Amino acid sequence: MSNPTSADVVIVGTGVVGVSIAETLLDAGLSVLMLEAGPRVSRAEVVENFRNLPLALKGDPSSCYPPAAWAPHPMPSSETKEDSYLQLSGPDRYAQSYIRYAGGSTWHWAGTCWRLTPQDMRLKTLYGVGRDWAIDYQTLEPYYTRTEYALGICGPSEPAEQWPPLAEGVARSKPYPMPPLPFGPGEQRFTEVVKTLGYSNIPTAQARNSGTSYDDRPACCANNNCVPVCPVGAKYDAATALARIEAKGAKITTNAVAYRLETDGANRVIAVNYFDQNKASHRITGKLFVLACNGIETPKLLLMSANARNPNGLANSSDQVGRNMMDHPQLTMTLTLEEPYWAGVGPVVNSGIMETSQGAFRSEHAGAYFRFNNFARNRFVTFGALKKGLVGKALDAEIRRMTACTADVVLAHEVLPDPNNRLTLSDKKDWLGLPKPSIHYDVGDYTRKSAEVYSVPIGKRIAQAMGATDIKLSPQFNQSKHIMGGTIMGLDHKDSVVDADCRAYDHDNLFLPGGGAMASTACGNSTITMVSLAFKAADAMVRQMKGA
Amino acid sequence: MAISRRKFLLGATVTGAWVTWGALPAWGVGATASSAQFMEVSKLLINHQLDEAVGARIAAAAATKYPQSVQMMTSIAALAQAKQARQVEDFFGDIPEGPLQEFAHWVIFAWYSGCSSPKKDAQLFTFEQALTYKTTADTVAMPSYGFSGPNLWSRPIVPLSNMPIF
Repeated sequence: MSNPTSADVVIVGTGVVGVSIAETLLDAGLSVLMLEAGPRVSRAEVVENFRNLPLALKGDPSSCYPPAAWAPHPMPSSETKEDSYLQLSGPDRYAQSYIRYAGGSTWHWAGTCWRLTPQDMRLKTLYGVGRDWAIDYQTLEPYYTRTEYALGICGPSEPAEQWPPLAEGVARSKPYPMPPLPFGPGEQRFTEVVKTLGYSNIPTAQARNSGTSYDDRPACCANNNCVPVCPVGAKYDAATALARIEAKGAKITTNAVAYRLETDGANRVIAVNYFDQNKASHRITGKLFVLACNGIETPKLLLMSANARNPNGLANSSDQVGRNMMDHPQLTMTLTLEEPYWAGVGPVVNSGIMETSQGAFRSEHAGAYFRFNNFARNRFVTFGALKKGLVGKALDAEIRRMTACTADVVLAHEVLPDPNNRLTLSDKKDWLGLPKPSIHYDVGDYTRKSAEVYSVPIGKRIAQAMGATDIKLSPQFNQSKHIMGGTIMGLDHKDSVVDADCRAYDHDNLFLPGGGAMASTACGNSTITMVSLAFKAADAMVRQMKGA
Repeated sequence: MAISRRKFLLGATVTGAWVTWGALPAWGVGATASSAQFMEVSKLLINHQLDEAVGARIAAAAATKYPQSVQMMTSIAALAQAKQARQVEDFFGDIPEGPLQEFAHWVIFAWYSGCSSPKKDAQLFTFEQALTYKTTADTVAMPSYGFSGPNLWSRPIVPLSNMPIF
């Protein structure tokens, strides 16, 4: 059977943003064709890949997702400088990882779903830094709720434990569809300890089935493997939605690497070109086009699509495509503790201190979010215990002690949009001959100052209260793999790529929803906001197609 | 398991710090014999139940990584027998530093980590049977294998002293 070549809406990317849009459009009666650069694999295959990894790779989220030759993605544990996909420069390494598979990078996300606060969306107005969003929190709130029900996000019913905290203009339109997941012993102890410092460690809102099945997926049963793959699909990932949207009529073509968009005389997008795994080129036409292939591949594809009418790339009359690359720069404190905490009971991320992300200090430096990482520690401590040369009961006791009495506490920061943090096309080429992404990045003084005067001092107080006898702090910022900013949203087409519906200012039938549109990062994980923007964009597409 | 049960060792003879394996040259020892010898030596070095299939995989890797592994295993067994060792603590200190102790540590490393080295290109021998997870099996799930039901993992802090039996 030949692949279809046209649809009402063509979506590039089958991750959570793409499938959320696809389902909305299908439910509205529109035809949808989706292109996925990589392969489609079964959950069982990924789980077996994980189980067959040597211990040194068990902590690397990418290693059980080997890339197809034609759809390379970052492989930080195995790639060499010569064959690395991302070409990085600048004071900080924008060393992201993501997956070019059907289902996208939610395959290995933790499922964390912190909403933004109203303040997070008005940094310029309130604190004189960064940018304001083109929409306010009240506009986004119904889409947050829709996302919580679409993905199956569990969370607390007590307002004191919800994020954002209840305040004027922050009322939730609906409760979470499921209650929060219980804390493991380490999280419980961490919660009690930070309470003595005046901090509230609250349950993470997360896309994971809590106590019950939801959306034809089973309840979480604490496999502690959300990253790199939930073995039972209790955590939402977009792969769980592929069969459902196909049943509704979506056509999904895998191993299809989009490499160019075509425009017509009116500067509307008329087609997308892709290479298959045999390097044969194909052309797909449609009425609306959606690029939902993540915050790196989307700006890359726009830049690769430069033509006579759009010499700097599509959607780029503002010169902002590929600029303002953002993430949540994080520092990790690895603690040795006097008493056991036993991380590793329950989901890998299950709670956090969010109140430290807010405050008037944001006029001076970034906020930070603190979390107790709940990954089982054996994979991180076994080599260290064995290196001590112990045998017999002493070795058993040391592995047990190090598993129970060590912990990672993560300090995740916000970062400001900076046009100099920029993705461009490298002169280095991939297997298909397409340019690799080149990214220059500096977390900036705003974030560095937070580490100096705010987050690290708080972190050390937490460590001390936890009974830490040793603290090892990351020597540099690491990336959270929350890719944001490269197709930034704003009210002015002169300094923004997309409008409030994630529609490209330069092309009225091109939508660029997802993390790239986010105008600020705040400190919480970005996916829930990306999907909320996707639903808002999808509604706009339906209106546009229905002629409203 | 007591050393006296290791009937296969009865033919071993001590030559200085090394031991020859009966009258057979190293190259003449079949894979099955090596696997059996490896399991017996492993049981001397590790005070726990060990899986035969995993042992066969580690033994094959040991034969490649340590060309003199047969002689080394025979030496270790002889040292254990000399002490009538019932657990590794009884004789490990008698293993001389250098290649023999390095080999002994590698055998222990392989069983506990389930792989051949701490490197990213290590050979995997086992995930499910890696002993590191057994030391915490009462408290921490082996990643990707749950041990509780929906929302049933709230529990008190388990003391370090409650070492599981495995």
